[in-house]
Amino acid sequence: MSHDSDGPRVLKHPLSSRLFHWGLILGFLPAALTGFVLWLKPGSDGFVNLAMRIHIGAAAIFTLSAVLYTLLCLDRVVAFVRRIFSYDDRDVGWLLVGGGYPQKMFLGRKIPVPPMGKLNSGQKMMGVAMLFGGIVLTATGWILYAFIPLAPKAFIYWADQLHLVVGIVLGLSLFMHIFLGIYNWGEFKAMFGDGTQPLAEAEDHNPAWVAREIEPVQKAAGGRQLPA
Amino acid sequence: MATYDYVEKAIKITRREFLGVVGVGAAILWTGAYAATDLVQDRTKYIKLRAAGLYRDDAKAAARQSHNNAAVGEMYKKFAGKPLSPLAEELFHTRYVDRSKLGGMRS
Repeated sequence: MSHDSDGPRVLKHPLSSRLFHWGLILGFLPAALTGFVLWLKPGSDGFVNLAMRIHIGAAAIFTLSAVLYTLLCLDRVVAFVRRIFSYDDRDVGWLLVGGGYPQKMFLGRKIPVPPMGKLNSGQKMMGVAMLFGGIVLTATGWILYAFIPLAPKAFIYWADQLHLVVGIVLGLSLFMHIFLGIYNWGEFKAMFGDGTQPLAEAEDHNPAWVAREIEPVQKAAGGRQLPA
Repeated sequence: MATYDYVEKAIKITRREFLGVVGVGAAILWTGAYAATDLVQDRTKYIKLRAAGLYRDDAKAAARQSHNNAAVGEMYKKFAGKPLSPLAEELFHTRYVDRSKLGGMRS
């Protein structure tokens, strides 16, 4: 991929984060889709049975991805948690204008929005929901998988209800995430490409991140890039 | 290999944050493991108590086989006709449910 025409680039999503994102695509996405099948039961028993088997396999991939990412990339997890719990006046301003997205999508004009860091206010709120919702879904899911014959019926009933409600909320959020991820095409290319983005594009979307949280890459003698 | 000119500054995790993450993780795992083993122990205890109660009732019973049980005989005589009669089949016999079909059970 030629980068020269775009000017300087910034590594936005390191390999570990991109691999974890693939873990979510192979784990959370099929689990969410089959979760809706298990809830609505739109087909035969055989079809629902197949959906349940895929649901369990995808849940295993999702759980393994999350555990490995937390253990092996704790710094990325800490950075994510710090970001999703950092709110100030700019977030209020951003939320009041919907990040400028309705104006851009429906009226075709770009309005000024408060400068955001690596995550905008909507992404931070989605991050909080994903963090807690993901933990709740994982815990209740494995409880439903392994402990139905052992646990009290009322406990299993509420674990099932919680799994359903959180699953619906996060499942619908996922569709919004996919839509906005494709709408912001540069972000899509960064996450599914080599993780880099033109600096000018990052300055436009994430000015506070570019201003405070990035630094030039150290180059070795001869211009060779040192690994980040 | 990706080429880029800028990279995110390294994340420094304070000792407090590290201990916080490890502590919360350990607490969740320990609580989960404790709850799971507690459930299994309780279940095993109740199964043993139930089995002991059934054996005790059996030891006390005068008639230990259903075909020698006067109450069962009386029930067939007055109500269900004879063993395996259509009414007995309908009332006392269960139907096969294929429980290997995950998620297919309709409420």
